[in-house]
Amino acid sequence: MNIQIANIIENRSVSDQYFELVFDYSNFDSEPQPGMFFTVKIDGAFGPVLRRPFAFSGWNPKQGTASALIEKRGNGTHWLAGLASGDTLDILGPLGKAFSFPQRGVRPLLVAGGIGLGPMLFFANVLLARSNQGLCEAPLLIAGFRTQSLIPKLDFPAGTLFCTDDGSTGFKGTVLDCILSLSDALPKVIYACGPSPMLAALARYASSLALPYEASVEQWMACGIGACMGCAVPMTDGTYQRACADGPVFNGLTVDWEKLV
Amino acid sequence: MNLTVTIGSLTMKNPVGAASGTFGYGSEYEKLIDVHELGALYTKAVTPEPRGGNPVPRLAETPSGMLNSIGLANPGLSYFISNKLPELQRMGCSVIVNVAGKTQEDYCKVVETLETQTGIHGYEINISCPNVSHGGLAFGTDPGIVEKLTAQLRSIIEQGAAMRKDSCRPLIIKLSPNVTDITEIARAAEAGGAHAVSAINTLVGMVIDVKKRKPVLAMKTGGLSGPAIRPVGVAAVYKIRRAISIPVIGLGGITCTDDALQYLLAGADAIQIGTVLFSNPNAAHEIIQGIWQYMETYKINSVADIKNLLE
Repeated sequence: MNIQIANIIENRSVSDQYFELVFDYSNFDSEPQPGMFFTVKIDGAFGPVLRRPFAFSGWNPKQGTASALIEKRGNGTHWLAGLASGDTLDILGPLGKAFSFPQRGVRPLLVAGGIGLGPMLFFANVLLARSNQGLCEAPLLIAGFRTQSLIPKLDFPAGTLFCTDDGSTGFKGTVLDCILSLSDALPKVIYACGPSPMLAALARYASSLALPYEASVEQWMACGIGACMGCAVPMTDGTYQRACADGPVFNGLTVDWEKLV
Repeated sequence: MNLTVTIGSLTMKNPVGAASGTFGYGSEYEKLIDVHELGALYTKAVTPEPRGGNPVPRLAETPSGMLNSIGLANPGLSYFISNKLPELQRMGCSVIVNVAGKTQEDYCKVVETLETQTGIHGYEINISCPNVSHGGLAFGTDPGIVEKLTAQLRSIIEQGAAMRKDSCRPLIIKLSPNVTDITEIARAAEAGGAHAVSAINTLVGMVIDVKKRKPVLAMKTGGLSGPAIRPVGVAAVYKIRRAISIPVIGLGGITCTDDALQYLLAGADAIQIGTVLFSNPNAAHEIIQGIWQYMETYKINSVADIKNLLE
């Protein structure tokens, strides 16, 4: 974990509201793993006072670049979307805990909702590479969006299943409806990132089948390094964990989703 | 040039401290910055028992600021002594333990226990906490209670110093701006025997989500910090300086050297930075360098002289 002023290599729109930021990662002191994130300082005289956290959506060690999929949501992300190749960013990372790898012989189900696609796409590509080396089963990625125009123009692993709320493409319904419609063998382990209601619904499903379930949660953050206790995530035992330092990937069966949603 | 600051028996190497609640117990920032450069590290609040903190969400961003309602989440006094204090002792800067509680006894218990420990250079008392014995009104809103609490804590640290055969650790009362007249509370702290006051703590604020028609924070209100509150803090320090003669530590919305100098010129002996650390962990280093350059440029020999330079 360190801070670098990193060059933007590419910053391009990939769908209606999403853009892909690719930046120089060659000077950071450790490798990003799927589930980890970085924070960006947002500039401007009266700009936001908090850095913005984004999950890594990819890492290319040969080119020395890393990427994130970002949704244009508020003032910080709109400012970021306006930057271009050659601009620089103040980046702190890599931060947080990554997804754990599935056991051999267990087909991992990766579920993404909306902008939660970023880390799941990164994880899917890492697991695909591992499966090619015989280290694990190939993953199945299910990606849900509100509508077709949000689906980013990116390379997806073969066999990725798309769902849309409005049925404009792929399966019509939620990612959970899609999982329930799968006719072949049920998943044995679930990994997910997306809106909290989706993560909560998956927790109920995983819990009912006693499946291992890892979820990457989203929470407002201040320091991003575990000092301020701002990004607390309520757990079922009544305690709080820090999304930035104890997560953002948690055992989804131990998160108190009712208190988080 | 002399950058040192004297508060009671304590000499800090420079006037720039990291504010309580923004810097944990130091170890989280060690990987990013040279913590030993700090004039002082004000720890996250320590309460007698562990506190999990408030329900979520705890944060909301506001124009040039942020609201927080962390709820003094901390691992409690025993854990602090066994796990955090040893880490703090190797930080290489003055360690000021921030103390919070629900009753007067809570504050006394924390300070009394810490008086038996080494590696602590002072106490900052958070009197913005609700006083359970007085209907939940903050300790810091009643001059009578502030003077009594300060006097009791002063007596405890006098006894502790005698026991250790050491000088008395400075007692700093952290003032809340959520009062009618902050100078009245500052006078009460001085009368009770405080070695210094720090000002200001956060201002009470609220953000409402109009679509959900409810406050964004689970606790509804939170403490506003960041550049938005800086003019309030500078004015408070200016008024306090003219009301009392003990040192004043200024904080609230400092992001850069000029901001820090505003506080010093208004009458502060030292400053703290907080919210800026979230976006720029290197801010302390930059401000220390900046103050040095300012003193060089304007031929100021001692940082303690700056408070007398306001026209």
